[in-house]
Amino acid sequence: MTVTSTTAEVTTAGPAPGTDPVRRSRVDLLPYLLVAPVMIFIACLALVPAVFTIVQSFYKVDALDPPTRFDGLGNFVRLAKDHAVIGSLGNTALYVVIGVTLSTLIGIAAAVVLQRPFRGRSLVIAILILPWAMPGVVEGILWTGIFDPNAGLINSVLSSLHLSDGNAVLLGQNRLLTIALIELVQVWQIAPLSVLLILAVLQLIPSELYEAAQIDGCSAWGAFRRITLPLARPGIAVTMVQAVIATLNVFDQPYVLNGAANTGASVTMQTYFISFQDLDFGKGYALSLLITIVTLLVSLVVVRLVYRRVEL
Amino acid sequence: MLRSTRLLAGIASLTLVLAGCGGSGNKQSSGGSTQTSGVTITVALASDAPPKAALDAFTQQTGITVNWVNIDWDSLQNKISAAATAKTYFADATNVDWSRVGQLGKLGWFYPVDSYVDTKAMQADVPQLASFTVDGHVVGIPYDASFMVTTVNTELFQKAGVNPAPRTMDEYTSALKTIKAKGVADHPLNIPFAAAEGLSTYWYETTGAFGGTVLDKDGKPQFTSPDSAGYKAADWMVNALKSGLVPPGNINVSDSQGMQNLMARGQVASTFSDYSGNVGTLYNIKKSSSVVGKVKYIATPGASGPAANLSNPDGIGIPKQAKYPNAAAKFIEWFTATEQQADFAGVNGPEKTFATYPIPSHLSAVKQMTAKGNLIGGAELVPMLQGSKPVFEGGAPSWYPKFSNAVYTNLHAAATGSMSVEQAMKTIGDTANQLASGS
Repeated sequence: MTVTSTTAEVTTAGPAPGTDPVRRSRVDLLPYLLVAPVMIFIACLALVPAVFTIVQSFYKVDALDPPTRFDGLGNFVRLAKDHAVIGSLGNTALYVVIGVTLSTLIGIAAAVVLQRPFRGRSLVIAILILPWAMPGVVEGILWTGIFDPNAGLINSVLSSLHLSDGNAVLLGQNRLLTIALIELVQVWQIAPLSVLLILAVLQLIPSELYEAAQIDGCSAWGAFRRITLPLARPGIAVTMVQAVIATLNVFDQPYVLNGAANTGASVTMQTYFISFQDLDFGKGYALSLLITIVTLLVSLVVVRLVYRRVEL
Repeated sequence: MLRSTRLLAGIASLTLVLAGCGGSGNKQSSGGSTQTSGVTITVALASDAPPKAALDAFTQQTGITVNWVNIDWDSLQNKISAAATAKTYFADATNVDWSRVGQLGKLGWFYPVDSYVDTKAMQADVPQLASFTVDGHVVGIPYDASFMVTTVNTELFQKAGVNPAPRTMDEYTSALKTIKAKGVADHPLNIPFAAAEGLSTYWYETTGAFGGTVLDKDGKPQFTSPDSAGYKAADWMVNALKSGLVPPGNINVSDSQGMQNLMARGQVASTFSDYSGNVGTLYNIKKSSSVVGKVKYIATPGASGPAANLSNPDGIGIPKQAKYPNAAAKFIEWFTATEQQADFAGVNGPEKTFATYPIPSHLSAVKQMTAKGNLIGGAELVPMLQGSKPVFEGGAPSWYPKFSNAVYTNLHAAATGSMSVEQAMKTIGDTANQLASGS
């Protein structure tokens, strides 16, 4: 209401429409000029490559089989017949399910704990951010030492507890265990951002709501279910979308921890192998396009299911 | 006035961004300048730079300044592919790996070095030049003499009362079994079973030891029959894991991890396919090893006597988009010359030594190193280098990366038990046939 009336005042205070066309044109151009740098950056770095990828995915672009030629759905047909790609799709689905679930649950739990001020809270948040700030490759190398079957930390602990002979093979043997452990490493990296995103939303919830609920005899669990969760839904939705994007594109952790083994190879790894090892760029473009479409669709579903507009 | 200033600011920022998006304008097609003096060339290798004094001396001699760029090996290969595909300048001289020679030859991404450097003259002294020759042209010149070797921890072999220099695969296997049976080492053999390139090269070397080759001259697989050397090698490797000769955890251990964590810690007694030079650069270095002075190179045990060592050297070549190909050729000539390699290897004093330099590719430089005591195990390494052979008779095929991917993923799967050796050999063979036929 206030905004509308202010606008009306500004409009009425200015010259009558059409009386100063030169000045009006300048005024209209300015916002576009100011936004243009960002738009051009986005166009150069995202839109042009995206359009290029879409177009090239319908061409046979193979450095070892020139020339580049239109191939219709040829790349997509070859992808559908590629066992490594099919296997990696299943692996990636598991990464997404485990990663999104865990990072969201950890994000909510940690955000609730950090919601109320306590001594050392800032320090805890600072420490929490560390894994998020580390590159995936570095994390992979760090966790290699932890999972190492011959001299790793986990095996040493299991051995000292007499739970294994000290040579338990954690990665590479069992597909589900391998994917779960690799995804744990990725969750370790992405969960801090989930915590921060949800925490930001939780801090907007007025404390009066909790006080009123307490007066009405609502338990802590009840307050969490009826106040915290519903009001945190926008933050949870954003958290889940970032987790979907990260897990669907997981590369560093499986590549460093498990090599190219089928037990953990992700679909993004296959894009890398197809493009940079086989030099079959057309097929690589097609797979990239599919990953982008799936990412968009899954994100859309998450937003539709989880996001609710909240007015505080 | 304020509005005009804002408008100007908007236009200025837009212009700047457009200039940024326009690129630097250095895109060029093949055929750089023939200038060889007063130019700066970029050399991109997965290695530290040589001593500054050496590079300065080169600049003084030739007038060519070298901008050395150290990029990790994997990223470097991606950059080479990306730059060549986009036909953009990336470096004047860069890495040519033995495994990509066929691919690079077919793609024509590099200039034939023999057009710039007299490679015929160096043929006798650089045995691994053969690994870089495709269709009669040299794609790159090897600057190190990397080849696969067998290393043994002599102390563990002696403790078990077995010969530390077995000459055949039977003797070698029997010695390892004895070491295990006597409890000297729980798991005496190091095989890196992680699904990575190190597993493929281990299999090639083992196949050679069993008296065969992986692919024939036409790229046809030679390992699908159970009687073939390749099949026997795969079976031997997987059985070694299943019978406990290999640490069970090696299922996910890469080659470098195995060497650093197992061999250098004295947990295993032998690595069948180790890197030449590892004794001097890893096992005999106190801070990274607990087996100093105990690990030796032995002649590779073979089917009925010592087998040849297979080469996996790194070379240096000139990409087609180089700005100064002739100047790059001058650098390559200097960088790979016998005298320079001897300097880098520490033959002529520490001030000329290139700390991370591997074994020289020139036999004469290796001999100089051995004579001056600069190369640990030199006496054993010289004949091995002399008799070293390329991994593939007809050179690495253009489809090698895809083939290698099939090799290490399927051998890894056979080791985990998710497929049999027979299935693994069949799948790898089918992949090779498919790739060789171009389908």
